[in-house]
Amino acid sequence: MNLFFTLFRTNLNLNFGISALKYRFRKESKKIPETLLIVIGILFGFGSLIGLYSFLMYQVFSAGLNLGQPEIVLTIAFVSAQFIILIFGIFYILGVFYFGRDLSMLIPLPLSPYQVLGSKFAIVMINEYLTALPLLVPPIIIYGMGTGQGFFYWVKALILVLATPAIPLTIASIFVIVLMRFANLRKRKDLLTIVGGFVGLLLSLGLNFWIQKLQSGNMVNSIQRLIESDLIKMIGQSFPPSIWATLALGGQGFSGFAYLLLFLFVSLLLLAAMLRLGNQFFYKSVLSGQESTRKRKVLSSKNEHRRFNSSTSPMMAIIIREWRLLLRTPIYVLNGLSGVIIGPFILVLLFFTQGSAGGSGSYTTEQLLTLINRPEFMITGTLSALCIVLFTAGMNLVASTSLSREGQTFWISKMIPVKPKVQIVAKLLQAYSVAFLSVLVTVIMLALFFKFSLLRIAIVFSLGLLGSLPLTALNLLIDVLRPKLIWTNPHEAIKQNLNGLLGMLISIILLLLIGAGVIFIVMIKTPDSLVYGLLALVLLLLTVPSLLGLFNAAERTYRRTEV
Amino acid sequence: MIEIKNLSKAYNKGQVKAVDNLNLHVQSGEIFGFLGPNGAGKTTTIKMMVGLLNPDEGSISINGYDTKTQSIQAKSTIGYVPDNPDIYDRLTGIEYLNFMADVYRVSPEDRQKRINDFLEMFELSDAASDLIKSYSHGMKQKLVVTGALIHNPAVWILDEPMVGLDPKSAHLLKEYMRKHCEQGNTVFFSTHILEVAEKLCDRIGIINKGKLIAIGTMAELRQGSGTSSLENIFLELTEE
Repeated sequence: MNLFFTLFRTNLNLNFGISALKYRFRKESKKIPETLLIVIGILFGFGSLIGLYSFLMYQVFSAGLNLGQPEIVLTIAFVSAQFIILIFGIFYILGVFYFGRDLSMLIPLPLSPYQVLGSKFAIVMINEYLTALPLLVPPIIIYGMGTGQGFFYWVKALILVLATPAIPLTIASIFVIVLMRFANLRKRKDLLTIVGGFVGLLLSLGLNFWIQKLQSGNMVNSIQRLIESDLIKMIGQSFPPSIWATLALGGQGFSGFAYLLLFLFVSLLLLAAMLRLGNQFFYKSVLSGQESTRKRKVLSSKNEHRRFNSSTSPMMAIIIREWRLLLRTPIYVLNGLSGVIIGPFILVLLFFTQGSAGGSGSYTTEQLLTLINRPEFMITGTLSALCIVLFTAGMNLVASTSLSREGQTFWISKMIPVKPKVQIVAKLLQAYSVAFLSVLVTVIMLALFFKFSLLRIAIVFSLGLLGSLPLTALNLLIDVLRPKLIWTNPHEAIKQNLNGLLGMLISIILLLLIGAGVIFIVMIKTPDSLVYGLLALVLLLLTVPSLLGLFNAAERTYRRTEV
Repeated sequence: MIEIKNLSKAYNKGQVKAVDNLNLHVQSGEIFGFLGPNGAGKTTTIKMMVGLLNPDEGSISINGYDTKTQSIQAKSTIGYVPDNPDIYDRLTGIEYLNFMADVYRVSPEDRQKRINDFLEMFELSDAASDLIKSYSHGMKQKLVVTGALIHNPAVWILDEPMVGLDPKSAHLLKEYMRKHCEQGNTVFFSTHILEVAEKLCDRIGIINKGKLIAIGTMAELRQGSGTSSLENIFLELTEE
């Protein structure tokens, strides 16, 4: 047991970067304000989300109270928390159990598989509290206060909240352990990343549509529909622990405690089963996936000739390198490329579902389409389309993580005899080509679905390309100013990189400012051609300082950064 | 030719002096071995020479180019092998080599010949089309060496180049180093393998706690300390 706790403590330290944080506070005091600012920002963003969620849950509670079923709010909370933990838990556990870099160090240690597995499971469980707490605590407080519950309610609630991730996570673990025993997925890490990413995307899209559907009508009606919809019942029935949790909290006296005990008993039973199974299979499947194979394709003389003859300029070589590394790292493709390409599709999709779902007061899709193409809405439609194009370009993570993605290999960029300016132009061109792709997709969408005329297409296309340049440069500039070069997993370079968020934020602010200006000149009845001309001028004027700033920053960063 | 003058570098706000007023001159046609205990300042010195770290004080000139003011020219004449082969995992071996050849502007004819020679020498031809992430540590090390020398640089700066190499590859690399110097070029390398330093180097420098504590040919070092083997000289000098 002692060994288990030692391992758990070490894992906990690594997971939350406690030692790294201590070091930062002790040795790198300059970075403290930045860290604090990030924490405050996260708390603020998170707090507002929780506020919104609490408000929604309060509405659900009130609606439930009217129907005589106030505990529906608890069922919804437990169902959604456990469901989310189950779905994302599968991928999370797969990553932590089987793809962790620490495995090769842990296996030779004198530890039983169940100790390694147990400590890893405990870490996942603690991380899942970050999902469970915000989802569960507000409804529990709302219900507890709203129905005037006593002391035992709060004790039961505390135990339940702490135990909630256990059942979905043990189920996910058992599923993963069995899966890995029979299907050797360790060699298919890239495929899993893609599948996981798309499952996440589909789930969020599905949720979006579902909420959209519910929202057509007023708030009370939608909540009523939410409560009566079969989805909750269906999930609740196929996943009884959520119902037990509700009954444990809502039930009085003995029945409440009985359900609590049932909940805990099943959790422990599943945990024991998982550890037992893990002890038997965990190392076997880990070891069976350790060997890596190579194709061992001998270079044929013809192949060779072609390969060596393809000499290009240093700038082109860097562009090719950037593209290869981007396209061959699934997590970069998912976060950097798919959004840019899929974004416009989703917008069109939303537009059409919104239109067709429209009841009284809103337009049908056909009406909206004719409206967009009417002469008096010409400029509004074109500018809105342009706004979408520029917005997508501003969300370009390929630019805002370009330097960060080099990570530990940045020494190569520092060492090669290629000027920082040349290297950064190559990166800019790569990121800009992604923006180009996105402009192209959007424009094709506009032509196909919104029946834009050729002239409007040309305007959106050219202004889109012009405006994408400063936006791409600014996104890149942020990463050049504060590159995140120390990471072990590419996830950290693109998903857990604050630069992506900062880039989006700055792009949005910039677009809002330009948008406000444009709305103003349109309102004072400026001729259309002049509006476009002025806009082009502003975008051009913005490009010059963005590029100059980028080149200057690049010289400085490449010189100053030590690796 | 390498010229280092009054080079200093400190970490932790000046508390830890990694390199302390180092002066060094390595001539063309010379193999120079750079020795020292762990944490003595070898890698810090080397990283400053190739431009990965910025010196606090002092200057470095490589083949007559100042690394600060003429960094691009200096870099063009350097072939650098780091102590840890962190390279692009998701490129194939051949793509990495072509990338290096492109940024160093090596002509197609030259690159074809050199890549073939190195791949054959290191027995990497079969693996060249595979992604680097499938390589072993030693294979990566061989690829990094190949990439660093692909432009036939006049000055080789190698940080523990033998680590991870099998005996045959290490032997071939040593031969290659000797041949390179015979053509009037310079090789500067750090190592912990004293035997290699003793047999291969024209001159040896020993650094300890950031300071150069001994420099000279094997004969000069022996004379200065009174002992015969490099191991004894090293232990004696770094003990205090």
